[in-house]
Amino acid sequence: MTTSNTDEKLITKKDLLHSACNIGALGMEYSWNYPRQMHLAFCLMINPMLKKIYADDPEGYAEALTRHVAFFNITPQLAPFVGGIAVSMEERVAKGELEGAAVDSVKAALMGPLSGIGDSIFLGCIRVIAVAVGISLASTGNIMGPIAYFLIYNIPAFLVRFIGAVKGYELGFSFLANAEKSGLMEKVMFASGIVGIMVIGAMSKDMFYATIPLKIGANVSGEDVQTVQTILDGIMPGMLGLSATWIYYWLLKKKVNPMWLILGTMILGVVGVYFGFLG
Amino acid sequence: MVVQAILIGLIAAWGSLDYAFGTLYTFRPIVLGPLVGLVLGDVKTGVEIGASLELLFMGAISVGAYIPPDVNIGGVLATAFAISMGKGVDAAVALAMPIAVISLGIGNLVSAITPVCLKIADDGAAAGNDKKIMFTQWLMGAFATIYKFLLVFGAFYVGADKVQALLDFIPQFVLDGMGVAAGILPAMGFAMLMRMIINKKLIPFFFLGFVLASYANIPVLGVAIIAVIIAVEKFGFLEDRPVMAGNAEEVSDDDDF
Repeated sequence: MTTSNTDEKLITKKDLLHSACNIGALGMEYSWNYPRQMHLAFCLMINPMLKKIYADDPEGYAEALTRHVAFFNITPQLAPFVGGIAVSMEERVAKGELEGAAVDSVKAALMGPLSGIGDSIFLGCIRVIAVAVGISLASTGNIMGPIAYFLIYNIPAFLVRFIGAVKGYELGFSFLANAEKSGLMEKVMFASGIVGIMVIGAMSKDMFYATIPLKIGANVSGEDVQTVQTILDGIMPGMLGLSATWIYYWLLKKKVNPMWLILGTMILGVVGVYFGFLG
Repeated sequence: MVVQAILIGLIAAWGSLDYAFGTLYTFRPIVLGPLVGLVLGDVKTGVEIGASLELLFMGAISVGAYIPPDVNIGGVLATAFAISMGKGVDAAVALAMPIAVISLGIGNLVSAITPVCLKIADDGAAAGNDKKIMFTQWLMGAFATIYKFLLVFGAFYVGADKVQALLDFIPQFVLDGMGVAAGILPAMGFAMLMRMIINKKLIPFFFLGFVLASYANIPVLGVAIIAVIIAVEKFGFLEDRPVMAGNAEEVSDDDDF
C-alpha cells in the first residue's frame, strides 16, 4: 500500500513466508557478534528477495547487500517484520524512487522501539509463562514440563514471524508510525507487562523454596513448638519469597552486580544451614 | 564413557545450534537436563534437575550491561556430573553456577576474537557474492558450537574424577546450603525480569498475582489466565479494531496458549 507500483507483484506472499523461516530469519543470533550483532542473518533473511528485486542490476544488488550487512539488532522474532518493511522499501530503491540511505534510517529507527515491545512480549511475558508452567510440571519429574515449555514459547514465536513478514511488507513503515501515534504499541507493552508481572508475582510465592525453620518458644516436651516459618505462613503464605524478590529488586536498582548477589546468596545459604536458621 | 561424553558434548553443542534454528530457547536447562538424563539413563532425575537449574538461572538474561553466566554449559555439565555420580539436585546446583561463570569467561574470549572474520562477509557484500555472507554466518556460529562441544566433552571425560573428589570433599552442610541458595535465587531472577518490564503502573498487578497465588492458592497457569483476561478487558482488544488489526493479532497469540 505504501508502494505505488501497479505492475504485477514481484514479491509474493510465498517469498515473504519463506523469508520468515529461512536460515537467516531463524539464525538471527547464531552469528551474533559484538560489533554488528545480527547483521549477517538479517542480510541473509532478505537476500532471496533482494536477488529478485535486483535481478538485472548486479551493482544495485551489491549495494543492497552492503547496506544490509550493517549493524542490526532486535528481538529475533520481530526480525521478519522489519525484513518485510525493508524489502518493500528496497523495491522502490530499485526503481529509483527512494534513496538507499532511507532504508538504513528506517531500520535504525525500528530497532529500539520494536526491541522494547518484543522483549517485553517474548522475554517478559511469554517466556515467563512457559517457564512457570514448564517448571510446575517438571519439578515432579514429569516430561510434559519441558514439552509444554517448548510449545508455549515457540508457537507464538513462529506465528509472529510469519504474520510479521507479510504485514511488514504490506503495511510498511507507515503502519508502524500510525501504531506508535495511536498508542497501540504502548497498550500492547502494558498488556503484556500485566500478564508478565502477575505471573512473576505468583511465582515469587510458588517458586521460592527457602524456609526459616528456627523454633520459637521451644519447650522441651516439643508441644506447641512453632517455627518462624509457620508464623510467617499464618500471616501471609509466601511472605519470604515476596520480601526476597523486592530486596533483590532494590539491590539491582542500586546497581549491585548480579554476580555479587549470587555469591552473597550462596554464602547466606551455607551460613544459614550451618547455624540452622535457613532450610 | 567416551560415547556418553561425546553425546553430552553434542547436547551442549545443540545449545549453540539452537540459535541457528530460531532461538527456540531449547538451550535452557529445562530442556537440556532431560536430554542429559536420557544419555545417562535417568530421564526423571534429568527433568527434576533441569527444572531446579532453570529456576536457579531464571535471572540469567541480558539486562543492561550484565552478561549472564553460560546457562547452556553450566546446565548441561552440572546435570551430567550430578546424575553420573548418583547425586541429586543439590550437587547439580552447587556445580552449575561456578561452571557457568567459568564458561562465560571462555566464551567472552572466543567472541572477542571471532569478529575478525566479518571481513569475509563485507568483501562478499561489496562483490555481490551472497555465498560469502552465508559462509560467514555459519563460520561465526560454528566457533561457539565447536568450543561448547569440546569444552563439555573434555570436562566430562577428564574432569569426572576430580569433580567426584571435590564433591566428596565438600561437607554436606555446604551442599545443603547451596540447595537453600538455589531456593532463594529464583527471587533474584524474578527481580531481574521485573527490572526489564516494570513501570509504576504495573506494581499493583505484581501484588495481585502474588495474592492470588498466596491466599487463593491458584497455580501459576491459573494466574496467567486471569492476567490475560484482565489485559484483554482493560485495553478492549476484543472490541472492534478497525485499523490496527495487525498488531492486535500479535496480542491474541499469547492468549491462546
